[in-house]
Amino acid sequence: MTKIGVYVCHCGLNIAGTVDVENVTEYAKGLPDVTVARHYTYMCSEPGQRMIQDDIKSHKLDRIVIATCSPRMHEETFRRAVAETGLNPYLVEIVNLREHVSWAHTHEPEKATEKAKDLVRMGVARARLLEPLEKRKVRVEKSVLVVGGGIAGMQASLDLANAGFKVYLVEKSPSIGGRMAQLDKTFPTLDCSACILTPKMVDVAKHRNITLLTNAEVTDVKGFVGNYEVSILKKPRYVDAKKCVGCELCTKACPVKIPDKFNENLTEKRAIYIYSAHAVPKIAVIDPDRCLRLKMKKGSVCGKCQEVCEAKAIAFEQEPETIRVKVGGVVVAVGSEVFDASRMAELGYGRFKNVISNIEFERISDASGPTGGKIRSLYSGKVPKSIVFVQCVGSRDKRFHAYCCRVGCMVTLKQAILAREKILEDVRIYVCYIDLRAFGKGYDEFYSRARDMDIDFVAGVPSEIHCSPNGSLYFDVYDKGTSKLLEMHADMVVLGTGLVPNADLERISSLFHASRSADGFLLEAHPKLRPLESAVAGIFLAGACQGPKDIPDTVAQASGAAAKAIDLLSSGEIELEPLKAVVDKDLCSGCKICESICPFIAIEMKTEPGKDKEKFRAEVIEAMCQGCGLCSSACPTGAIKIQQFSNPQVLTQVQAALAEAKPKGGK
Amino acid sequence: MSLTDLMTMATPNLGSREKILARLCGRDLVNCFQCIKCTSGCTALKLLELKPHEIVKLVNLGFVDELASSDIIWTCATCLKCVQRCPQKASPYHVIVALRNLAVEREAKVPEGYLKAVSQILETGLAEPCRKIVTRKMETVDRECLGLPKVCNPKESFQAVFMKAMEEKP
Repeated sequence: MTKIGVYVCHCGLNIAGTVDVENVTEYAKGLPDVTVARHYTYMCSEPGQRMIQDDIKSHKLDRIVIATCSPRMHEETFRRAVAETGLNPYLVEIVNLREHVSWAHTHEPEKATEKAKDLVRMGVARARLLEPLEKRKVRVEKSVLVVGGGIAGMQASLDLANAGFKVYLVEKSPSIGGRMAQLDKTFPTLDCSACILTPKMVDVAKHRNITLLTNAEVTDVKGFVGNYEVSILKKPRYVDAKKCVGCELCTKACPVKIPDKFNENLTEKRAIYIYSAHAVPKIAVIDPDRCLRLKMKKGSVCGKCQEVCEAKAIAFEQEPETIRVKVGGVVVAVGSEVFDASRMAELGYGRFKNVISNIEFERISDASGPTGGKIRSLYSGKVPKSIVFVQCVGSRDKRFHAYCCRVGCMVTLKQAILAREKILEDVRIYVCYIDLRAFGKGYDEFYSRARDMDIDFVAGVPSEIHCSPNGSLYFDVYDKGTSKLLEMHADMVVLGTGLVPNADLERISSLFHASRSADGFLLEAHPKLRPLESAVAGIFLAGACQGPKDIPDTVAQASGAAAKAIDLLSSGEIELEPLKAVVDKDLCSGCKICESICPFIAIEMKTEPGKDKEKFRAEVIEAMCQGCGLCSSACPTGAIKIQQFSNPQVLTQVQAALAEAKPKGGK
Repeated sequence: MSLTDLMTMATPNLGSREKILARLCGRDLVNCFQCIKCTSGCTALKLLELKPHEIVKLVNLGFVDELASSDIIWTCATCLKCVQRCPQKASPYHVIVALRNLAVEREAKVPEGYLKAVSQILETGLAEPCRKIVTRKMETVDRECLGLPKVCNPKESFQAVFMKAMEEKP
């Protein structure tokens, strides 16, 4: 005979504050097969777990029902506790009295208690039919794919490679380095971005455990945690990587000028180019859309680069190449983009040449940028006499992005300080802000330093910016500090544009089945307790693709994601949950409906020689099945069931739910 | 009351605030974080000292009565720039209109111009009367000499509908 123990948790006052737990416990005692029912302040605590374990031994319980918080929270905890006594851990049923009852019905304690009783009755009914299950172990690949070669991807790759894992680092552009490579100096210490970044770039390129794939994109992902099969498209550089020495002779000979993306299109480069001064690998690359020969597909056209290249490295015949690798896990570190301020028409970006974005200011301030690091107008060439920074452009704005960009305030403080240091006292510098957020370590001290450097802060942002015919800018702004409407004139306005989700994220999220949050960034598995991974097992998140981040936070998350991947893969095998679909071969008619709807590609149709003709049968690839249940509900013959969620197991709950229901309405 | 305006000794009237919020169908249009973009661009600020951010803040704090009886709410030029540009999708303009409605309901003094406009519409169906204008060549012209048709007065049914709309409490 089944012996069931029912345990009602108070969760402090989270449950007991609304639900009458004693009443529920007394009710449970009266249910069939219930041998013992108890309630306790914190069931998940050590004494709470021991109470269950002692009862299992003394009362010989064989089914456990725990009425507590969501199973997402503590199902594993209770399964472990039960397994320690020798009972199969899958004979535990969790009833959710917190999220489903007390938190949802705080103001109706009596009804909540009735609902709690209903749910406990349903749980007990289901517990009777639970079956013991075993976990299965599978071998995993001890290698990791890192997508994105910015500071996040580089940090994660180095940590993984140093731990002995094989790393495939895939970067879309011809060089690694990402956004950080474009920055001049970094807050709050003002160390030069290139000085701290380039050694890391070189380390990545030289590490024997890292395979660096630049100018490449992930095109397909198959498989499951521990055993992913990834296809990577390596786009042709049209330059032989083994021969090119990075002498840049070709980049001077090429007659075709194209905008330089690394310099935010403020300067021009040639159709054959080296990505940046610090590019790793420092190998030339040809833009196939702009190169005259590649565009016209004629061997006789141009060829100037070929003529000057002493290393004979130009290779017009190169073709795209698809590389397939097997990896155990993936770190997604594809970063973010900068908000396109021209969408906010009132500020004049794109219309007025002296209105620039903060990433453009970064290039102007950088020694390898269009002005060689001198701060001046790209339009007139003059050193500005007054610079105004306008904050929260595209961020904290429900018309565009409702979130705070988290870096804009500090970026502006840094740029204002750089402007002051570079132009000395000949410039007036203003910051128009809504709230100034300097929350990190050493950040508020940095804000204070900016105020000491004669940088003025105006509490209020302009409604619109105007431009006079001579190119100077003017606008009104109401300062809430002085309650005055001020007219401001500026030679340069720098917009504090925020970070926005990468345009590639849509493709990336569907490739890896990684969901996105409402703001468009990739969604972490839990906002507090699992911030480094996506909800899909084996897919980890690092850097600004998960949400806007500055460099310290990005590096911290990247190292964390690497550690998580090491934790998952280091033992060489992982345990799989047994809550999967199973097929009753005799019932399967081979209709293929399950195969067509399975979102995890976990169903394979196998042929079987029948009496008259060949017959198809569904087979579940256990390691890929996530136990979602779509196939089970769609199967017309009832041949597929999900372990522990079979029809009888679910229907008995429904019956229990309706057992005490009073008929409503009618006569 | 936990809040007193020491200049006027006024305290918030949460009942009046509820009335305004009901007219605005909730709090979305007063969800303001005081970036002051509205006031920086306000057409009526320069001449008439209207500060939209202050109006929204005063409503949030519950100082509705002094606003409803003030002249300042009648200075808004309804250019809607604040609605267009508010980063939080709040709307000082809708708040001001709600305050004006409350003022009318309380029979506060409505500036003469508005009353004139109402009787104008009632009589002619137009917010602005037809009048003579001066062209660039400094000629004074009216509709007749431009060959434009005469504007007829509205039908009586229009006036009935208009009167009925005015009497209805929003």
